[in-house]
Amino acid sequence: MKPEPHATTGVRLLALALISLQPVSAARAEPPTVDTSNWKCKYCAFEEGFSGEVEVGAGHVSGDSFKFGEYNGLEEEGGFFVGNATARYRAEDATYLDLLFYDLGLDSRSLRVEGGKQGKYKLFLEYDEIPHYISDSTATPYRGTGSETLSLPAGWAEAGSTAGMSALGGSLRDVDLHTKRERVGVGVAFVPRSNWQTAVQYRHEEKEGKMATAGSFFFNAAQLVEPVDYVTDQVDASVSYSASNWQAKLAYYGSMFDNKDQSLLWQNAYTPLVAGADEGQLALAPDNQFHQIVLSGAYQLSQRTQASADVAVGRMEQDEDFLPATVNTSLLVPSLPRSSADAEVDTLTANFRLVSAVTDKLRLNGAYTYNDRDNDTPQSTYSWVTTDSFVATPRTNQPYSFTQSELKLSGDYRIDKSTKVSAGFDHDRHERTRQEVNTTRENTVWGKLSKRAKENLDLSVKFAHAERDNSPYKPAPDVDPEQNPLLRKYNLADRTRNSAEFHASLIPHERVNLGFAVDFARDDYSRSQLGLTDGQELGLNADASVLLTDDTSLHLFVGRERIRSKQAGSQSGSVPDWFARNDDTVTSAGIGIAHQLIEDKLDVGADYTAIRSTGKIDVDSGTPDPPFPDLKTDLDSLKLYANYRLREDMTLNAAYWYENYNSKDWHLDGVAPDTIPNVLSFGADSPDYEIHVVTLSLRYKF
Amino acid sequence: MNHNYSPVTLLLLLWCVSFSSTAQAEQAATPADAEQVARTVQEGVYTEKGADTCIKCHDEDADYPVFDIFKTKHGTRGDKRAPFAGLQCEACHGPGVAGAKAMQEALDRGGHVGKVRPGQKRPPIFNFGDKSDESVKEQNRMCLTCHQSDSHIAWMGTKHEGSDVACANCHTIHAAQDPVLTRMTQPDVCFKCHTRQRADFYKPSNHPVRFGQIACTECHNPHGAISASLLVRPTLNETCYTCHAEKRGPFLWEHAPVPEDCTLCHNPHGSIHKALLNKTAPLLCQQCHSQAGHPSVAYTGAGLPSGSASGFMLAGACLNCHSQVHGSNHPSGVKLMR
Repeated sequence: MKPEPHATTGVRLLALALISLQPVSAARAEPPTVDTSNWKCKYCAFEEGFSGEVEVGAGHVSGDSFKFGEYNGLEEEGGFFVGNATARYRAEDATYLDLLFYDLGLDSRSLRVEGGKQGKYKLFLEYDEIPHYISDSTATPYRGTGSETLSLPAGWAEAGSTAGMSALGGSLRDVDLHTKRERVGVGVAFVPRSNWQTAVQYRHEEKEGKMATAGSFFFNAAQLVEPVDYVTDQVDASVSYSASNWQAKLAYYGSMFDNKDQSLLWQNAYTPLVAGADEGQLALAPDNQFHQIVLSGAYQLSQRTQASADVAVGRMEQDEDFLPATVNTSLLVPSLPRSSADAEVDTLTANFRLVSAVTDKLRLNGAYTYNDRDNDTPQSTYSWVTTDSFVATPRTNQPYSFTQSELKLSGDYRIDKSTKVSAGFDHDRHERTRQEVNTTRENTVWGKLSKRAKENLDLSVKFAHAERDNSPYKPAPDVDPEQNPLLRKYNLADRTRNSAEFHASLIPHERVNLGFAVDFARDDYSRSQLGLTDGQELGLNADASVLLTDDTSLHLFVGRERIRSKQAGSQSGSVPDWFARNDDTVTSAGIGIAHQLIEDKLDVGADYTAIRSTGKIDVDSGTPDPPFPDLKTDLDSLKLYANYRLREDMTLNAAYWYENYNSKDWHLDGVAPDTIPNVLSFGADSPDYEIHVVTLSLRYKF
Repeated sequence: MNHNYSPVTLLLLLWCVSFSSTAQAEQAATPADAEQVARTVQEGVYTEKGADTCIKCHDEDADYPVFDIFKTKHGTRGDKRAPFAGLQCEACHGPGVAGAKAMQEALDRGGHVGKVRPGQKRPPIFNFGDKSDESVKEQNRMCLTCHQSDSHIAWMGTKHEGSDVACANCHTIHAAQDPVLTRMTQPDVCFKCHTRQRADFYKPSNHPVRFGQIACTECHNPHGAISASLLVRPTLNETCYTCHAEKRGPFLWEHAPVPEDCTLCHNPHGSIHKALLNKTAPLLCQQCHSQAGHPSVAYTGAGLPSGSASGFMLAGACLNCHSQVHGSNHPSGVKLMR
């Protein structure tokens, strides 16, 4: 069959686009009228009544490791309860109830109950716990961790450096850094009429625990334990309407953040450099709110053309009372110009899209996005105190505003059933206030070819080229000391970006699926003398799934990623005189097998994953300094399981999980609390673990 | 040869190789005309007994069991919008006698439910997924007939839609619980295409997707959104703030890149550097900070514990003093140290 001739002129394209905009009487076909009086559905297995399954059992973790249990709640040696359950109720009139209980015996538990009448209304209640175990090798001499006040023990001996802190060794106490989120959500959705949907959701989250921060007195610093006691309430409410050729949705989003702790006060462990610098105070995250209204809509202009738009208007507010400029009572500091920041940011995001299948073969897409952050926070000049030690030259706050506008135009042309070419042009413009560059403009051209090369082989390749340039670079206002004038911050710098992607998926046999992907990107900042000068990323990923027999399936994946960058600095405060390279490599591989050993009786399986990552850093300052050791992590994870069906409704599950993790991080390795003369550190280790987890459970279906 | 471009060269080579092997790709048939399909559905001949006709063959022992549809919303009779309150199987799969596609073979032989001789292939019905005979556009059109409202408004023009992703590539309809709608199983569905992200979540610093604690849809709306990368909120930062509201401020002293784009410093899918940072301090910070004095100094291996143990490099590096990198609301927080 002969393909249709290509549209060769813009005039013709425009004409086609206009034709495609012609309205149609019915965008979608009406449901056909069919005599279904004999459609008894007597073989249909409609579900009514209760059903579900319950799993109970016990497990054991072989050792303590925060890294292993970072998010899964298995951080501690010992036994744990295995409890999972699902239950469902269905009635003929579409009334339903769903219950889900997951990980009941762990800190990562979650519950959800949802019920209602399908097509009319639904209600849900959910509860989630998300732990984050951060560090179990942390030690500090400070007492009162987890509170807003950290104090040193009686008998603490101040010194000019950590090595001189004679009471340090005897004062150190282990402190575990971890946080936990507890979320309760409720929601209701209601269908008042067939074309309408309404929904309201509310989520209350409490996050509590301890995490790391730090504070300093001039150049003498200490790592500190920050209390975490946050409450975040979020509301989503929406109403939407759907007609045959248009849909619209109006939504409100509100987020209210409340920090129970306003500040962290800590005692200076060093001999104060100036009188009165005995204590320091950090501001913790201030209470704040965000409210937003979003209107979305789509309109089917014709059977071939759809327009859609979203407009979101929001406001961020923060008006927490200021802390004093210093807690050092020996300093005479002019009073603050305001009692709070009265910070206010108006946001406007708008998006317009037009998609038109001009012909069966040609499709045109246009999209325009506008994103504005208007920071109305009042500017004032603050007499400030550096690190509770010295009164500094007054500074004026710089509320940053920006506007992004982006136009994207693209077209797809389907040469034949198996080949599609796409090309596009994007123009992305950022305007910023109070920064080194007012305007950056980036133009991107790209092309993509997708080909079903054979019945079982899909290929696609994409290339993109982007050029970003900017308005003249000038020093940002009120930055003291000034940046080196040769520096170009990488988000504001001229940049040439070239990227390429190749994706292939092959089904050589109906039981075999293969996938292969290459992604490459190169950022050239060669017009920057200082700062980031070059960036490259290369990703290779392949996977395969094979149904070896009716009873055995196999899955494999391998991946390799390399992220490199170059940067330059200047110690002399002029031209580049040192250069650095970052070179990160991650190799991943996994194999999984699932096998039915005894038909309808015994299923077994295994999954093994290995990850190796290396971060190489090389800093060349022209002197023969020792090299950095590599940042390294090695992870091996093996999971085995066997599920034995005791009865039609009862299964015995046994599982074994082994993980071995080794890491090397020169930021931490060999750094005891008193290793760095001017940083009283936590002395944390880079984590290593070897953990075995076994579980045995019984699953009952009803 | 410029070594830096070798991956591009590799791609070109791969592309050429793949084409040379497929130069004789079959001349494809013209895709079914959309209006013709709609008309065929309209005028199609439905079975006399509805789902009972289908279930006679597609029982629980069939190669592709379909009975779990009765555990799903589609299989709920009491909801008049649901397929099983209407045209049952044929609501989605099209008329069983005359197939939805203008398929002469099927029409000639009486459609999917017609008689076939032993060894003869049964004409297909309107089906979905990788093995479908229908175009992705037609498959999705069937789903969108009912599912174009609310969260699917923005589907048209999304990257997923433009890349010919079929609804059935992600959704499993004949399953008691669609894996992509369950937090613990959803990532594996996304990773079928997004293989690089699967590797990211195994990196030492990550969001807990690997353990089922959060799903991809916590941040992304695969059916379309205002923002790039199909995020659930209008901008990237607003999406991050749904869980990290403490970083929203607005602060008295802002760190300029923070309110603009969290990904200028972080990779949300995973990193080998702590706190999901793209690189490690102090070099990450020194890509933007060059002032005379300590920001401009070349920190080398001489500052390791075996040498002079530099506070600018070790433990928290720059953050040993500038701990308020996301902004400070302290009147004296101008240098993000209070």
